[in-house]
Amino acid sequence: MLCQIFVGLSRTVILFIVASGLTLILGVLRIPNIAHGSLYMIGAFLAFTISKMAGGGTFGFWLAMAGAPLGVALLSLVCERGLFQYLYEREHLMLLLLTFAFSLVFGDLVKLVWGGEYKSVPVPPAFQGFVPLFGGLPFPIYNLFLLILGPVVAIALWLLVNKTKIGKIARAAAVDREMVGAVGINVSWIFACVFVIGCFLAGLGGALVAPTVSVTLGMDATLIMEAFLIVIMGGLGNVWGALLGALIFGLTQSLGILIWPQFGIIFPYMAVIAVLLFRPTGLLKSTW
Amino acid sequence: MLKVENLHKSFSGFKAVNGANLHVAKGEIVAVIGPNGAGKTTLFNLVTGILKPDAGSVRFRGEDITGMPPYQVCKKGLSRSFQVVNVFSRLTVFENVRVSVLARENKTWNMFTPAKKIVTPETERIVDSVGLTGQKDRVSTMLSHGERKVLEIAIALGGNPEFLILDEPTAGMSPEETGRCIDLIRKLSKDFGLTILFCEHDMELVFAIANRIMVMVRGSTIVQGPCDEVRCNQAVQDAYLGGSDACSA
Amino acid sequence: MGPVFRKKNLIIIASVVLLFLFPAILPRFYVYMAAIVLIYGLAATSLNLALGFGGLYQFHHAVFYGVGAYGAALMMMKTGLSPWLGFIVGPLIAAVLGLVMGLICIRLSKLYFGMLQISLGSLVWAIVYRWYSFTGGDDGLHGIPVPDLISSGSAAYYFTLIVTLICTYMTYRILKAPFGSVLQAIRDNTVRSEMIGVNVRRHQLMALVIAAFFAGVAGSLFVAVDTTAFPDMLFWTLSMEMVIMCLLGGWLTFMGPMLGAAVIVALRTLVSTYTVYWALVLGIIMMLVIFFLPEGVLGWLMQLSGKRRETGPENNEQKAALAGDR
Repeated sequence: MLCQIFVGLSRTVILFIVASGLTLILGVLRIPNIAHGSLYMIGAFLAFTISKMAGGGTFGFWLAMAGAPLGVALLSLVCERGLFQYLYEREHLMLLLLTFAFSLVFGDLVKLVWGGEYKSVPVPPAFQGFVPLFGGLPFPIYNLFLLILGPVVAIALWLLVNKTKIGKIARAAAVDREMVGAVGINVSWIFACVFVIGCFLAGLGGALVAPTVSVTLGMDATLIMEAFLIVIMGGLGNVWGALLGALIFGLTQSLGILIWPQFGIIFPYMAVIAVLLFRPTGLLKSTW
Repeated sequence: MLKVENLHKSFSGFKAVNGANLHVAKGEIVAVIGPNGAGKTTLFNLVTGILKPDAGSVRFRGEDITGMPPYQVCKKGLSRSFQVVNVFSRLTVFENVRVSVLARENKTWNMFTPAKKIVTPETERIVDSVGLTGQKDRVSTMLSHGERKVLEIAIALGGNPEFLILDEPTAGMSPEETGRCIDLIRKLSKDFGLTILFCEHDMELVFAIANRIMVMVRGSTIVQGPCDEVRCNQAVQDAYLGGSDACSA
Repeated sequence: MGPVFRKKNLIIIASVVLLFLFPAILPRFYVYMAAIVLIYGLAATSLNLALGFGGLYQFHHAVFYGVGAYGAALMMMKTGLSPWLGFIVGPLIAAVLGLVMGLICIRLSKLYFGMLQISLGSLVWAIVYRWYSFTGGDDGLHGIPVPDLISSGSAAYYFTLIVTLICTYMTYRILKAPFGSVLQAIRDNTVRSEMIGVNVRRHQLMALVIAAFFAGVAGSLFVAVDTTAFPDMLFWTLSMEMVIMCLLGGWLTFMGPMLGAAVIVALRTLVSTYTVYWALVLGIIMMLVIFFLPEGVLGWLMQLSGKRRETGPENNEQKAALAGDR
């Protein structure tokens, strides 16, 4: 059972990475990026292609882990500069619907480029196999890798948001974009940066998850739902909130399925509702 | 009619209102003046229920309305206009006022009778009384700034109030619009019998129409009294009017 | 007002007559599609009551549609009572769900409201999806025993047409009544509405319940026409499609959503015969509408013909007030 929980936790890492990107975009740009799930999916498919082209071994894996998120980031930059930036002045609803339109387009683009069958990305040799954990229970090494990577990403993000100049400007822009603009900073480019970083994280999540699941169409629909719920639970714009939310979500999901296999998947939803009933703006402070 | 006693309100440690006192008798026109940031709008928000005070009380016609939600305060006969133009952007002038009248008449739950069959005469009366008859079918975003501020007042009138609070009614208005607004305020007081409380930065306007003045500085009331008394008060002169104001006669 | 008024009435009467003639002049498939259009149109119109006229970020309207369908279907399948009751119970359950969800969500504003609604709706979806023994799980329900009177294609169509006309008319009356005026005022400015004595939360809640009820009606009509119910009817992507219908048709107009539904359904049927990439097409259409036709087709047409009252360029103050009101 402990093993189950840990496997659940490694899935949590993926959820956290994707959700952190989502919450960054939501916090600074105030856009609920519905296309985030599709970008995650593209990340996974890109990882498949890159890994396959590079021969599938360790080198291929690392190339895919770097290349897929970068590809997604590039795609998001094009979309943002090309279309998004013209809508910042419009009503909120329009931006949201635009991201939904993108999710539709991306979804079908994936179908067009990669076809409908599911793909698989091989786990690199270094990470194959199991490790004995907690008195002999076998635990997949790849999942261990994810568990270690999670906090690394969290700390890296924290440093980025709190210690770098861009991070500080972005946080200021989140609270008062007019003031930041009035001080002479090009808010538009800040937004573009944050957006691209957020989408990079989505792609990274997709690339990382690829070796553990079958890469298929439809990955995006359930994931975006879960990512949004995590972000709402944690507090809009709060990266630590995304971590907390992902932990709660992942744990309740694993526990739920263990305790009540048929309806276990409703446990995370109930957790979200419970949190929102008592703290409607999320567990941690949001930037709104 | 309105009695505000020792009101306090802080926002994350910043004391916006720090022991404000105010009383307005029926039929009076009272002005609240003070430098920017003195807490005038916060005071109005506290009185009308948009904010809840940390301490102190607000009594209207003897009844304690401290902390009551805005829609209940309105039903008691206290209406208010806003400093930043706060009208219904997609509705016409007529529709803007009509909603207010409908609310007052408690007809907002009616789902069957076409709205244009009821409250039309009352709505038109109010629109006429503020002088916006020519614009009544124009969407509110098409009005000039001054006209929209008058619409603000018209919406407040829709509630058939006995007490009207106006937050900087002439802010941003041209001189002629300001003149018209002054006439309107006088008319509301004389012909309609409304008790009026307002705040303004235009001192000439204040001294022209107010019976009494309350001066706020940094969240506290420093003096309340008739115009002349306030004009010649030393503390007020130093804080706000500029010490050199000639106080002859 | 004379000639314009009469012209609009004539168009309405002519359209209604035409709709009644459909089964006589169109092949069965088109009659079925017309019924589907009416159903989605009713659902979209009910959504627009909350969204376009009420200003609520109603992001998961499909829940009410789906619950109405399942309510009706389960009444017909699992109880021995008259199947006609299904058409009453379905919408009622949807309305009750609307009330419950509303009570939970209404305390929040704007985006939080929408997101919480999605969470609650997803919970309902998850329950329906998993409860194989009761709701048929991801298989859905099939072969639902609808009343004999409406079991034929044309009869089901007529039933749908009549019910949709009645519901649409009722929604129209509600919007033209004081309640509708107040709702629109709340949409434009909640703070001001509170200040003139309107209990904003309660009015919004009522709008939500009414919208949920009519969506439930649409759902139960679907059961009548298709004799099936399935979990996708509750999935958030359908909710987004409904929002698209409202936007495409014109979310500030009354008939806009109906028009949007017609366009979307027609396009989907047409495009699907040529290609499997319907989502791509829909996405591109959405982008075009967002950038070039934000008022929707009907809104744009009304602006052209001058019927829409003039809305001037919004000045910065209003925009700032609107933008700041998050």
